[in-house]
Amino acid sequence: MTDEDVQSLLRKHRCAAAFELLLDRYQQKVFRLVYSILKEAARAEEVTQDVFLKLWQVLPDYDGRASLSTWLYTITRNTSLSALRAGSYRKTLPIEDHEPPAAHWEAGAQQVEINQLLERLPEMQQQVITLFYLQERSVEDVAHMLDLPEGTVKSHLHRARRALADMVRR
Amino acid sequence: MDCHETQERLLESFEGALSPLEKGQLERHLSECAECARFAVLQSQLDLRLRERIAAPQLSSGFRAGLRARIARQPREPWPDWLPDVAHLIGSAVAIGSCALLLPVPVPVVLGTGILVAFLTYSLQTLLVSALEQKTD
Repeated sequence: MTDEDVQSLLRKHRCAAAFELLLDRYQQKVFRLVYSILKEAARAEEVTQDVFLKLWQVLPDYDGRASLSTWLYTITRNTSLSALRAGSYRKTLPIEDHEPPAAHWEAGAQQVEINQLLERLPEMQQQVITLFYLQERSVEDVAHMLDLPEGTVKSHLHRARRALADMVRR
Repeated sequence: MDCHETQERLLESFEGALSPLEKGQLERHLSECAECARFAVLQSQLDLRLRERIAAPQLSSGFRAGLRARIARQPREPWPDWLPDVAHLIGSAVAIGSCALLLPVPVPVVLGTGILVAFLTYSLQTLLVSALEQKTD
């Protein structure tokens, strides 16, 4: 199944069938993108439903100017960011959790909690590196999902890796 | 290849395979530079940890059922988007045709007036529909 199949169904006004195909093809990717922004699986699932509900409502108006996936990822990012802004659920860690964890992996003396390190990165670097590993390390997928050039994704990845290494060394 | 370049190539290697030439240059530099070698070990450990810890979450088995239930609760569209336009077109055509047949007025006058009235009523209808849609949103 390709996006062309979906567009062909839409041209025949078979929106329900097109919606089912989109759901099969994109539900997991949309969920991962939402999760990379919200960082909480249960809430991400709820927002993924919101995304597909919006898609259900606007699919008949799809005009084919942007590709279906680009269109869907734009809806996903906007919905996730609204949820994030509305976010009373957003995790607020106690101050001591933000203290840099003492760590020397090479010595193997202490275990570093990688999630704690990730939380100390700038938001965009966190999102890019999380999505990179969720999407089986595909820069192309991450760039498409976040609507960024591949070079920008790589640059965020490199900065994130260097920053993580600095945190570990400190 | 200097240290900065070596470290950049090393970071790129986590995003995809390097060419044999780049790989050779990278390995040569790492064998001669202790600092870059330490950087390489640390980055490999980080990559491993990130792979282990950032696991793709799965949607629950109730995801689709929940979505379908929410879709079922959506209010249905009262009419298709195209229906008011088509109804207006048919109504205008019937009215102009009837007037041309029944009124004791020259046909060109009926047609001209009819088209003008149809245009005005269509504009009014478009404004009303747009206002209704904005109110609904």
